[in-house]
Amino acid sequence: MSRRAKLSVFAALLALGMAMGLSAENIKLTFMFWGSPAEQTAITKACKDFEAANPGINVEPLYAVYSGAEYDAKMKAMSESDTLPDCGYFASETIYSYASNNFFLDLSPYVKADNMEKDYLSQAWIRSGSKIIGAYTAAEAQVMYYNKDTLTKAGVPLPPTDYKKAWSWDQAVKYWTKLTVDTKGKHPGEAGFDPKHVACFGINHEVWFSMLYPRVWGNNGEIFSADGKDILIDKPETIKAIQQLADLRNKYMVMSSPGLTEYNSTGKTDPKVLLQNGQVAFYVSGAWELLDFAKMDFPLGVGALPISAKPAQLYLSGVNVVFQKTKHPAEAWKLQKWMMDPSKTTDLYSGGLWMPTKKSWYENKADLAKWLDNPAHPKGFKEAVVDSMAVARNEPLNIKNSNQIISEFINPELDKVWQGKDTAENAMKRAAAAIRKSGLLEGLWQ
Amino acid sequence: MRIRKETLWGWILVSPLALGLTIWVAFPLGVAVSMSLFKWNMISTPIFIGLQNYWFMLFGDHLFWQSLKVMLLFTITSVPLQMLLAFSAALLLNAKVKGVGVFRTIYYLPALIPTMVSTALWLFLYNPQYGLFNFLLDKLGLPTQRWLTDSSLVIMSLVIMSLWSVGNVVVIFLAGLQGIPKELEEACVIDGGNYWQRLKAVILPQMSPIIFYNLVMGIIGGLQTFTQPYIMTNGGPSNASLTYMLHLYKQAFNFSKMGYANALAVVLLLMTIAVSLLVFRSSKSWVYYEGERK
Amino acid sequence: MSARAKTKPGRALIYVALTLGAVFCLLPFAWQLRSSLMTMSEIFSYPPKAIPAEAQWRNYPEVFRIIPFGRYYGNTVILVAWNIIGVLFSNVAIAFALARLRFKGRKLLFALSIGTLMIPNSVTMIPTFIEWSWLGGLNTFLPLIVPSFFGNAFFIFLLVQFFRTIPFDYDEAALIDGASYPRIMVQIILPMARPIIAVMIIFTFLNTWNDFMGPLLYLNDSKLYTLALGLKSLLSSYNSYWHLLMAAAMLVVMPLVIVFFVGQKSFIAGLTMGGIKG
Repeated sequence: MSRRAKLSVFAALLALGMAMGLSAENIKLTFMFWGSPAEQTAITKACKDFEAANPGINVEPLYAVYSGAEYDAKMKAMSESDTLPDCGYFASETIYSYASNNFFLDLSPYVKADNMEKDYLSQAWIRSGSKIIGAYTAAEAQVMYYNKDTLTKAGVPLPPTDYKKAWSWDQAVKYWTKLTVDTKGKHPGEAGFDPKHVACFGINHEVWFSMLYPRVWGNNGEIFSADGKDILIDKPETIKAIQQLADLRNKYMVMSSPGLTEYNSTGKTDPKVLLQNGQVAFYVSGAWELLDFAKMDFPLGVGALPISAKPAQLYLSGVNVVFQKTKHPAEAWKLQKWMMDPSKTTDLYSGGLWMPTKKSWYENKADLAKWLDNPAHPKGFKEAVVDSMAVARNEPLNIKNSNQIISEFINPELDKVWQGKDTAENAMKRAAAAIRKSGLLEGLWQ
Repeated sequence: MRIRKETLWGWILVSPLALGLTIWVAFPLGVAVSMSLFKWNMISTPIFIGLQNYWFMLFGDHLFWQSLKVMLLFTITSVPLQMLLAFSAALLLNAKVKGVGVFRTIYYLPALIPTMVSTALWLFLYNPQYGLFNFLLDKLGLPTQRWLTDSSLVIMSLVIMSLWSVGNVVVIFLAGLQGIPKELEEACVIDGGNYWQRLKAVILPQMSPIIFYNLVMGIIGGLQTFTQPYIMTNGGPSNASLTYMLHLYKQAFNFSKMGYANALAVVLLLMTIAVSLLVFRSSKSWVYYEGERK
Repeated sequence: MSARAKTKPGRALIYVALTLGAVFCLLPFAWQLRSSLMTMSEIFSYPPKAIPAEAQWRNYPEVFRIIPFGRYYGNTVILVAWNIIGVLFSNVAIAFALARLRFKGRKLLFALSIGTLMIPNSVTMIPTFIEWSWLGGLNTFLPLIVPSFFGNAFFIFLLVQFFRTIPFDYDEAALIDGASYPRIMVQIILPMARPIIAVMIIFTFLNTWNDFMGPLLYLNDSKLYTLALGLKSLLSSYNSYWHLLMAAAMLVVMPLVIVFFVGQKSFIAGLTMGGIKG
């Protein structure tokens, strides 16, 4: 090993030691988060700005290159070794099991003192009894994207943007059929249509579990009962919603293989690029995709989600928390508050990654312009998505074992439906029976 | 005096190993085994529940048997194919022909690619619409496949991928082939043996300890298969590729059932030891050791 | 087949078979290379393209722009270097003692060390992590370096197998001349083990270079991140940037290819000496 390499190890350790030494004078906070390199840049900058505005507090951003279960593994390891950060992101699906072990600082006194509650969307706070254990980092919703060129070429009208006056599902399927075309110019339903050589698909609808909620709710269906003690996936309305999605591939042939519910997002073909190439006409996914779309060059459109029984929308996002063990709760809250204020991290909103959680940014014209008036947000985004947050429901997070129920019981059965090996009715009835027998329906986290 | 010095030095030199085994094996293993008797989600106080985790494994967890089946299926299909392919490749790479060094590097190349990259790459190759394989099948006029999204095909797809990165096995076989004394082969040639006879009479017996070694390592690796299904299918579709290790990982980190995950780990360890012993016993009848080695 | 392939058809057959295998090995790799030189939309064109219309070399500098690849490189090299040092120091001494010195407990230790090969990593992962938190090693390179100084079962096995084949007369003669055991190890046994050392270096290089779980668990500060973590960040958050991901993958793999190509001969010779037998 070279002397230089040795020296650099030594220097790294020394630097670390010095950084620790400094903390004696300044209050030092650690903020842990995940995300793309773009998000890393923005969050790091937000931390720097916070430091500048709050002399005496140093913030060390800890960037994790992983999320989901890997982030959770890291959290557990850190909690076991008593090295948790002061505050940061937290995976929403596990937050209640941690909360029941008193992991998070109750933010309600701070929220009350700063009189913040009414300024933010009611869905933004994560509550546990009378406590507030965290706040959603942002708001995210489901969006239907399309490529204008593809629609124009096929002579299909652009979809409405008002979320209350969207296409009906059947109407949408009709247009998607018209847009689906094989390499010889035939459409599904026509003699000689070749589903193996499709040049352009009408639609690509994400089917990972959260992405099913708007469809289910829009059909008046439910997944869990409100008390978390029963499963409702065998309700006819829920079954109908699932069958609708499966039919896109297996009956109407307007969607490419839907992939699997349990797929990691890692390394799949990206529908965004297919949309740009004109290989897919419509794409239903999350609002965060705007960030990547902004870097592409094609006429992107946003339409209202097709309606089955009623308009529906999903509210989901990662969560920001302050850990109970922090030595500087007041300062950590200050940082948390900073991160929640869209005027401090405007780039993340105007770039398309996040939607704000602050109410005025949905109502006040000047505030709306701050994040919507830019090329990243196509025209109609406000009517189709921003306004639809009025009917948005949170993902149910406080149901015990919901993760395991979905992953071990529902998803494997859904796979059969997506593959066309079974009907939604059979599969969901089987899954529901197995879930009720498993003893995992233990109600709600307190 | 001499003996004492030898003992002393022996202990000094192996002390790091003894220390390492204590710190990085014995202690963590002890913790894992004892945690298997608790109900523990890593964030609350563990509750002692005796053998309940093991009871649940056998009678309550419907995915335990599924994951066991997947693990065995994968191991039984992939390991023999790996052995056969790697051995043939090693025979070829042992030929004294020009440019064989380049071929050796090429054959080893897949083993050099980080698993994370190669799995992502193969995910891409298997893509039903835009991947290389369906592209080739289609060109040849064969029906295209849903490689990873068809529950009856997914294990086969993972096996094919595992065959791609057998470079480490090939290299070890190759080294073994080069270690066969020249005299033995030449004697056989003089006796008028053709290649197949030479293979049967000299090469295979000489190679048997190495085949044995690779077999044991292959089985251990097969039983612990994790990264590929984790990144590529996450166990799907319909749990068709849920390997034992993946099941264990999910229990621990997706569902926070750390005690149960540890019980699964203990059982896996016992199974691995049992299988290794089985192979070891059978080896007495087919593994050939040179006389002077005892 | 160590005997020369005598006939021409025989040799041709070998080449044909070798080439077929090479195609199977290279095809995915070639796919990776071509993808790394394409634009984002070209990658998904239908029907798929074999060769980019125009090679996009700028994908490579682009990788350095979006993630601090240079720093990740540096960190990884530091880890690799320390691990190689650790592996060389510890395993040679341990194997020397196990193979050539007689003392109580050596058989048991050897067996135990081989037994560790059977333990799944995830079993010991969390307890080991907790140990490191007691030792105060979190968020440093120590947990990723120090264990290499305490022996590695696979390398010990290789070395012991080899050391056992060296006649004991060497040691006896040296002892009579008054040499100490460490001197015998360093001056007599070690030089004979040179090719095995090459094997250890290459395997250590590979494992450290590609390790993902270790850095994930132990490093918090992104200044300490390694290449594997950098790749992961591209993988998980740059779904549509396949061209960059593939370019990054090429950058990660290239040093390994070079190391292997250079060390290929002594690498295989080393494994031969190890003679994984009995």
